[in-house]
Amino acid sequence: MEDYKFLFKVVLVGNAGVGKTCLVRRFTQGLFPPGQGATIGVDFMIKTVEVDGEKVKLQIWDTAGQERFRSITQSYYRSAHALILVYDISCQPTFDCLPDWLREIEEYASHKVLRILVGNKTDREDREIPRHIGEDFAQRHGMYFLETSAKEAENVERLFMEIAVELMEQAKCKELPKYDGSLGPINGKTTSVGDGSCCLRS
Amino acid sequence: MSFVKCCFESTEGHDFLDSLVQKCTDPGCCCGCCSALRPRYKRLVDNIFPASPQDGLVKSNMEKLTFYSLSSPEKLDRIGEYLFQKASRDIYRRRHGFVIIAMEAMDQLLVACHSQTLNLFVESFLKMVQKLLESTDPQLQILATQSFVRFANIEEDTPSYHRRYDFFVSKFSAMCHSNHNDKPTRENIRLAGIQGLQGVIRKTVSDDLVENIWEAQHMDKIVPSLLYNMQTAEKYETVSCMETDTRDGLDDDPPRLAEACLRELVGRASFGHIRSVLRPVLTHFDRHELWVPTEFAVHTFKIIMFSIQAQYSYSVVEALLQHLDAGVGTRVRAARAAVLSSIVAFAAGDSVGPSVLEIINNLLTNLRASVARDSEKESDEKLYQEALINALGEFADHLPDFQKIDIMMFIVSKIPNQRGKGTKADSMLQSILLKSLLKVGSTYRTTELSKAFPAAFLDALLRLSGAGEAATRALLQRILHTLLDRRGNAAALAAPTVDYAKLGLIVEKCSRPDLIFISKHGYAIFSSLYDGLQLESNTAENVCAIYTTLALLCVELASEETVCDMLQLILSMQQSALSNPVLSTAQACRVHGAALALLALVPHVLLLPALQEYVAQIIEARREEAPHLLPPLLEDYDLSPSKMPNKLPYLMIDQMALAECLKACGVEARLQPAAPYAGAALAQRHSWVEAGAAQGRDSLADISAGPNAELDSANSSPGVQRHCGGGESVSLEALRRAASGPSEAERREAERRRATLNDTFRTAPFDHLLLITQPKYEIKEKLEEIFNSLSEEPLLGVGVGGSPAGKPTPCTKYFPELFLY
Ligand SMILES: Nc1nc2c(ncn2[C@@H]2O[C@H](COP(=O)(O)OP(=O)(O)O)[C@@H](O)[C@H]2O)c(=O)[nH]1
Ligand SMILES: [Mg+2]
Repeated sequence: MEDYKFLFKVVLVGNAGVGKTCLVRRFTQGLFPPGQGATIGVDFMIKTVEVDGEKVKLQIWDTAGQERFRSITQSYYRSAHALILVYDISCQPTFDCLPDWLREIEEYASHKVLRILVGNKTDREDREIPRHIGEDFAQRHGMYFLETSAKEAENVERLFMEIAVELMEQAKCKELPKYDGSLGPINGKTTSVGDGSCCLRS
Repeated sequence: MSFVKCCFESTEGHDFLDSLVQKCTDPGCCCGCCSALRPRYKRLVDNIFPASPQDGLVKSNMEKLTFYSLSSPEKLDRIGEYLFQKASRDIYRRRHGFVIIAMEAMDQLLVACHSQTLNLFVESFLKMVQKLLESTDPQLQILATQSFVRFANIEEDTPSYHRRYDFFVSKFSAMCHSNHNDKPTRENIRLAGIQGLQGVIRKTVSDDLVENIWEAQHMDKIVPSLLYNMQTAEKYETVSCMETDTRDGLDDDPPRLAEACLRELVGRASFGHIRSVLRPVLTHFDRHELWVPTEFAVHTFKIIMFSIQAQYSYSVVEALLQHLDAGVGTRVRAARAAVLSSIVAFAAGDSVGPSVLEIINNLLTNLRASVARDSEKESDEKLYQEALINALGEFADHLPDFQKIDIMMFIVSKIPNQRGKGTKADSMLQSILLKSLLKVGSTYRTTELSKAFPAAFLDALLRLSGAGEAATRALLQRILHTLLDRRGNAAALAAPTVDYAKLGLIVEKCSRPDLIFISKHGYAIFSSLYDGLQLESNTAENVCAIYTTLALLCVELASEETVCDMLQLILSMQQSALSNPVLSTAQACRVHGAALALLALVPHVLLLPALQEYVAQIIEARREEAPHLLPPLLEDYDLSPSKMPNKLPYLMIDQMALAECLKACGVEARLQPAAPYAGAALAQRHSWVEAGAAQGRDSLADISAGPNAELDSANSSPGVQRHCGGGESVSLEALRRAASGPSEAERREAERRRATLNDTFRTAPFDHLLLITQPKYEIKEKLEEIFNSLSEEPLLGVGVGGSPAGKPTPCTKYFPELFLY
């Protein structure tokens, strides 16, 4: 049944290889994919979760990290409710690129977009970015912070659930019209939420 | 009774009862009895599903459902919603067989619906499509796409303005980038993505009130998705039109389907939307570094040009032009310019005045920027400039001829015109712009000279002909060549020769408009060319180039009316070779060679047997004694200046002899007032004579005036010339003496020349100078004047004013020399 009350769009960004696709797969399919190719352009997944007994549908857009796909991936930022910026805690360069990513987000995403910094691959022994460094960075830039392991399923569920909760709260406190199942997502009213324009902007 | 029966499973007669129910108009009548029962539409929907999904849609029941929907269209939305909910449940339970059946049923209902009632159903139909697209199963995604495409091809009477397609655009674009591990599956998903985008485009493009597909948020997804698939083709075959594309497999090859889709998109773009498509195209090429090599870029942009509405093709050129400089890397710039030149011709046919000049101006601006740029790699920058110039030529080539003239005048107006010491960038720019001019000029097909050379244009060209570096000046001559050469003789006349017989020149009689043209502008042209031969920095290339210009003039204006002027100029050339102190020995030799080559050309284009004989004599003589005075022109002449046989009259072209030749062929008759066209011709000529005379030039009439022939030979450098004119022959002995001490002789010679010049200027009586330089209104009158002056004054003093042909102001030319020493 199409009975969700909220529909939120979540976009994952960050350097290639930090584990965005694995995070999404872990969350939506409950698995850690062995040796899939790098994402090309954009990939799409859906997952419906329950928050306070209400169904929340998460549309998850997983983007390619490579430079050359940047223009198409940027076009997906615009309608995002939440942006997950991922780096690899065992790979300094992926952390060093964060300011560049933030600049892109500034430029192409809504200013009210919920931003979450994720340090992935906590299962790895060869950590290069201490947790507090990531935390500091997130705090300085007004982002939520979480460390995850797609491989060990650590904090992955929590990551998306917290996003769902936070977005739902935002949507509720703004007293926006709720999704009701009878209105298809292609219907104008639902798109208004989907546009990222009403539930995230004051 | 019937109400009860209708609640049972379908039996015979059921349809009959349905229609009864239909006709029941009392709202209370039906609902009252059935409220406790499952609604009829639900049962009808349930019945189309078989017990086992493998059995497929139950066809007979589907017909019933269809019939019911058609007769009770107000139920359509509920039928749709119910089907959607069933499918959602089946997706959740992974019973994909039933999902497929539900989708199939919706497809059939959609097709069966009348257009007025469609709107009721579309909502749930699209929800269903979206639901399937959200599944991770490629099969369902592809199925959903097919349904969507079917829907997209239906024309709706009343489009639903609140309907939004952004999910579809996002999802189909993602599918276009599918990275599925299984190759066939990947291809199919990508194909479906492209088809889906095509569907969205068809559905929305024609009506701006529906979702505005041209918005950046959509175009930034659609365009790169199409290009990404196009760029993966193994080879790029560019055909002008998809309809005539007979290659098969269009529908199962992502690159080609993407191409077809791009064509459709571009073809539907109105003027305001072109940029929305082009911007992401340019960005995609930048991001994916697709400019170098240029094949794919050329392919893509040609496709855009083929499919764009013709009147907008200009904006593609404009967009590319504005993008030329974007980002870094000269190689990329050069590649963009190369792409530009491959498409610019398309735009030419449909561009109108202002946009034409705008394109040209833009190209020139880019050229200027390139010249000014301190490039990391000069060779790449050159490549870039070349590509820009090519683009310019390509563009001009497809414009009507009158616009080419406009363009050439425009380019000329942009050329910096400083003589001598401009900055390096200036002279580079000058040369680049002249190259551009040449490129455009070479696309112009001259008919009448007056059309090819409007006065202002000609003026500008002639002004430039003396400016700049040697190579630049040669370039300018090449522009003249291409504009003058109507009969394809330029290549044959590229370098001086005396052997014209085997060149296969095409010569036709000069037309009257051309005669008028040359009588108006001949003097300016000839004097500019003559000046061009007098420059210290001239290389063999310069002399060759000027020779070619003159030879082309000679061929193109073959006429007895013009022959005198040509001969006059030839004599002047010879004179300057003998007397111009700035010319080196080698330069003088070249001018001699060129002069003789031109002289040999004259009897080849006009029937002048006497002249032909005379030329043959000189050639023979030079062959024996002075081969360095014959073509071909050399880079180096291994000669001492004293060897310059300026004292051997039989090696020189003699003015009197020329006059005799002409007379023998009856040419001067043309100059008589009684001759046909004489009135007009004379009048024209008159003004020219006037102009020439005002600048101190002897008129053409001099040449046929045998007795005063000395005048010319005595001109310019009187002292030197006296030996020749006075018939004081130089013995071989003297030559040998000179050869024994070349440097010594050279120095003495130069000194003597200097002295004579000074002397002339100092000693020539003022009134005589005045006489020579004042306007001459009547040829006869002038002749008398000269006769008189000659009889009064020995030959010596004449020189100053009367440099033979077209040395406008010899004083300005020679005064610096005088003061220098
Ligand atoms: N050890 C470890 N490896 C991971 C984790 N997440 C992803 N990877 C690996 O990192 C590589 C890139 O993952 P992927 O999801 O494709 O990265 P993406 O380019 O950001 O989508 C793959 O080899 C994954 O197996 C993780 O949590 N722990
Ligand atoms: Mg990925």
